Amino acid sequence: MTRPDGGFAGKVLRVDLSTGKTSTLDTREKYGALLGGTGLGYQVLWEEVPAGTGPFDPANKLVFATGALAGTSVPCSGRTAITTIFPSCWPKALVGSGHMGGQFAARLKYAGYDAVIVEGRSEKPVWLFIRDGRVELRDATHLWGCGIRRATLEISQEMGADCCVAAIGQAGENCAPLATVVNSLSHSAGGVGGVMGAKNLKAIGVQGSGGVRIAGDKGQWERLVKFHLSILGANNQHVVPAFPSPESEYYSPGSRWVGEPGKRWGAARPPVEITGSIHDMSRIAYRTNSAAYFLGEQAWKHTVRGNGCTSCPIRCHTTLKVPAMATKYGVSEIAQGTCIALNFGRFFFPQQPGGPKGQSALEACMLGMNMADDLGIWSNYGQLQRDFIKLANDGVFKAKLGSAEYAAIPWDKWRAGDPAFLLDIIPRIGHRQGELGHVLGQGSGGPFEHWGIREEVWTADRATTYWKMGHPKHHANEDDGQCGVIINTQYNRDAQCHSHTNFVRNGLPLAEQKRLAGELWGSPDSVDAPGHYTRMNPHKARRAKWALIRKELHDCLGLCNWMGPWVASPLKERGYRGDNSLESRFFSLATGQKLDREALDLAGERVFTLHRALTIRDMATADMRGAHDHVPGWVYEDPKGAQPFSQGTIRMDRADMALAMDMFYELMGWDKATGAPTAQAYARLGLADVGRELKARRLLPGGDAA
Amino acid sequence: MAKTTPPTLIELAASVAGMDAALSRRGFLLLSASAVSSLAALGLCEAFGANPPLVILDNAKGLILADPSRCVGCQRCELACTEFNEGRAQPSLSRIKISRSQNFGPLGPTGGTGMQGIWGDGLVVQGVCRQCPHPVPCATACPEGAIRADPATGARVVDARRCVGCRLCQRACPWGMMTFDEERQKASKCFLCNGKPKCVEACPSGALRFVPWRDITREGQPAAAALAAIPAAQAKACADCHAPSVRKPPRR
Amino acid sequence: MIPEARDVLADMAAQAVRSASRELRLVTRDEVLEEVCAILADIAPEGEAHATAAPPVAPLPETAAGLEGLAALDRQELSALLGAVLAAHPGLAVLQGVSGQTLHHAPDLLSRTYARILDRKGSPLLLVAGEIRANSRDYPRPVPVELFKRPPFDLTPEDIAQALAAMAASPEYQDIGSVTTGTGAVHLFSTRHLERGYALFLAQRSESLEMNP
Repeated sequence: MTRPDGGFAGKVLRVDLSTGKTSTLDTREKYGALLGGTGLGYQVLWEEVPAGTGPFDPANKLVFATGALAGTSVPCSGRTAITTIFPSCWPKALVGSGHMGGQFAARLKYAGYDAVIVEGRSEKPVWLFIRDGRVELRDATHLWGCGIRRATLEISQEMGADCCVAAIGQAGENCAPLATVVNSLSHSAGGVGGVMGAKNLKAIGVQGSGGVRIAGDKGQWERLVKFHLSILGANNQHVVPAFPSPESEYYSPGSRWVGEPGKRWGAARPPVEITGSIHDMSRIAYRTNSAAYFLGEQAWKHTVRGNGCTSCPIRCHTTLKVPAMATKYGVSEIAQGTCIALNFGRFFFPQQPGGPKGQSALEACMLGMNMADDLGIWSNYGQLQRDFIKLANDGVFKAKLGSAEYAAIPWDKWRAGDPAFLLDIIPRIGHRQGELGHVLGQGSGGPFEHWGIREEVWTADRATTYWKMGHPKHHANEDDGQCGVIINTQYNRDAQCHSHTNFVRNGLPLAEQKRLAGELWGSPDSVDAPGHYTRMNPHKARRAKWALIRKELHDCLGLCNWMGPWVASPLKERGYRGDNSLESRFFSLATGQKLDREALDLAGERVFTLHRALTIRDMATADMRGAHDHVPGWVYEDPKGAQPFSQGTIRMDRADMALAMDMFYELMGWDKATGAPTAQAYARLGLADVGRELKARRLLPGGDAA
Repeated sequence: MAKTTPPTLIELAASVAGMDAALSRRGFLLLSASAVSSLAALGLCEAFGANPPLVILDNAKGLILADPSRCVGCQRCELACTEFNEGRAQPSLSRIKISRSQNFGPLGPTGGTGMQGIWGDGLVVQGVCRQCPHPVPCATACPEGAIRADPATGARVVDARRCVGCRLCQRACPWGMMTFDEERQKASKCFLCNGKPKCVEACPSGALRFVPWRDITREGQPAAAALAAIPAAQAKACADCHAPSVRKPPRR
Repeated sequence: MIPEARDVLADMAAQAVRSASRELRLVTRDEVLEEVCAILADIAPEGEAHATAAPPVAPLPETAAGLEGLAALDRQELSALLGAVLAAHPGLAVLQGVSGQTLHHAPDLLSRTYARILDRKGSPLLLVAGEIRANSRDYPRPVPVELFKRPPFDLTPEDIAQALAAMAASPEYQDIGSVTTGTGAVHLFSTRHLERGYALFLAQRSESLEMNP
């Protein structure tokens, strides 16, 4: 007998830093239709944060929200979304979310909360203590000015070693738009640290003795969890190994499944050899080694182990130990990270001795991880580093920094690719020192705003990978043609969507991908060969919509969109199929609220559309096509002059992309001219009141036409 | 009583402690040949005079071995334990313990170079029930005889029907491995999942193995002070607080 | 010939092939025949196993009738029947080896792709050319030359250079080409399936993935 009260913790905690008062509300009652995560965040912003609110105003709110599946053993379910008026969004801050993994989501659920709404501003630095029903604001004066590591240590001493601390560093305290909040050493949410700093909130410490109830039959639940495990690949749901294996028909050197039998975690004591079957369920944690993927074979001897979020077997954060870090630079020998954070250090250098996989690059990455995750600096998906290189090479620093400041920066080390350069530059940014620290900490909008650089210079230069509104591309046309471009137009920061790229880079041959695509999105033509794109068609629009809706859904359920959706698998006996209904099957069993795939996807669409409505409201225009859904000029060029749709180029065609947006808007039920949802579109999704509000503001397409 | 070994050993011990009447009333004294030979091997003949054992359980057949150097800190073992057994993901009630040492190691947030866990050298030291041989601290401490050896696995298992929620077992375990469910007012502990431990199955790095039992109680550091023999007067005082939970009066 | 004999032989053959596949060995029909004959020789006419050597494979669910039927065949008949069951068995795969031999493996233990690689290990030229062509055809993509230095290819730079030189000189291998990316890395492809410009694009793209997290 299933009771419909599983999954969710049941309560949302509201903390008013101005008054010090806390209260709770019922999650399902208030936010059930928006599921949780970003959906809950968007609803709070819609209802409580007026258009025009600045990111550092006390009236801005920070919504830490996880989802119904977090805290359970659903693989890849350790995610928290943090929704707010996003500081690095330029020229006008709009709704955006940071995302972090680690232990925070699960601990919050065990404490009895699905979300924490932080509002107002504290007079003095505080940190938020949450242990079960006990919620207190405690003095953080002694922690202000400390890095994230010390703050976490001292809060844990006060609160208990088993708690999870999400803290800002000096970058957040200084209200840098490029500031993070970090939990569990290396799990950082970009862009939101400065909002915490502006509120004088140093950290949230959370732990609970409660649990997450599974409403459905526990045997059925266990079987579904095991099924999910059986269709997992490696990081980013790459489903074939990077190496030829007797256990696989396919392999792909570009795959993140690098854990080949014979390799070993060399810095473990004693080293841990990878042995046995690559499909063994007790060997999933050995498949991924992000450090080896990005920094080369040398990383294996420095690998202590994999690490990551609660419940995830993938362990995409690699824990590295490099003894030289202590002797050469005086920092910890141990650092940990994945993806862009792992690369934080080496991305500052145009070149380094030994190349991108040499010793210098390794040391730069170790320094970067250590310092960025202690000061709490966000890279803006590497845009900080790309902007730095361009500004240096274009002579902008020389022109704009005072001569004293410019001379104090060890440029010789930078040109030499010496990792020690980072010991100077990273603290400048983290502490917002000088003109450089102050401006670069704002994201690309900083140079645009303060140094008279026109955004067009960036959008014309493909090397910047700049996209729009102060942020870069994130898996756009270089990965996935029109789908990638559509996805990158939709948000107010870099898209943070991996649904599409996880599939196209999963390592399966194109023929297999097209076969699966036919089943999933109605036609093999929904997927192209890399760099051999075909003209836009409705199937690609369907796939783009699926990618966006599912990303939003994952962000609402506490699931990891860097792994999901799980629509392909390593299993030859399944024809390499995954399961496109996995999310709804888990949701139904966990909560007792039976929603099939279509119904749950509809909720995801509701959430995504609310984000659209917020953007329209706060931009005060319904003309999304003209004012928001931009594509930078470099997307329509090729350095060798290759034509769009020829073989060997990622160059897109303007007319074709216009058609792509037409098709996408039509599929979404949005007005074709403006890309704005119509009243009917809102109503169909249960957002009729949102539609009415926008109508009152004349922000429905066609003016006040209903 | 088995007649294959000198029968007077246990009877002697019981009468020295004045417990012979209590022994037969408790009725769970298991005197298989293996238990008695273990006693003989431990040299308890000499020890009988001072601290006669009250509870003698056959050794467990299997043991969960945890290797910290493979642990990736994912907590899937903790989750499987409660989620698959009780339908509730609740690490605070997990009978394998990760959360408490995951961040800073068994010594806690000391800072310094010796720290383990995520914020230290990365090593996660798992807490696993040792299925202690005789004398079993939790079983010995239980006034209701609610902790017994499972006939199939030898796992020391809390019989929830007998448990009165007094928490003496929690106090007794040197490694803090007992859990106490506040909602149900019952103690619980690792019961080896009837011979197929779910945590072992759930571990994605092979850090947990289910192996033939051996005595590891002298390895590793105790996490809590062990409950030594308590003088009768103090024991009486203990009983004032460690009374059966008001929600679950003892079944008589 | 009774059907049970065929079934029993199919099981015995599968066991032998699977055992070899587990050890990453491809086997010929003759090798399987040797094993089968050894098992049959071990079994007395009355159906009792001799107390001598244990069979090289795990005990099978055989029927006495099937074994009797097999025992009644001479070696040539047995070999012919074995060939038929090996070809027809749904769990086994056949590979025409580069040596001309017909080889057998269990694809769930030893994939077709890997079996092809193992078969060619004796000849760097065939190994490299075969892999280049398969990759260009199946994915499609070029392969970095570094791939061949790693397991399971394990070729030395000299082996690879020699093989590439031999290919360049041979009319049969004129389709094998190479492109060099900006980092200086060499990638190999087959013009049967990939155009040079696209091969270069794909090679450069594969290098870019590590800078595109």
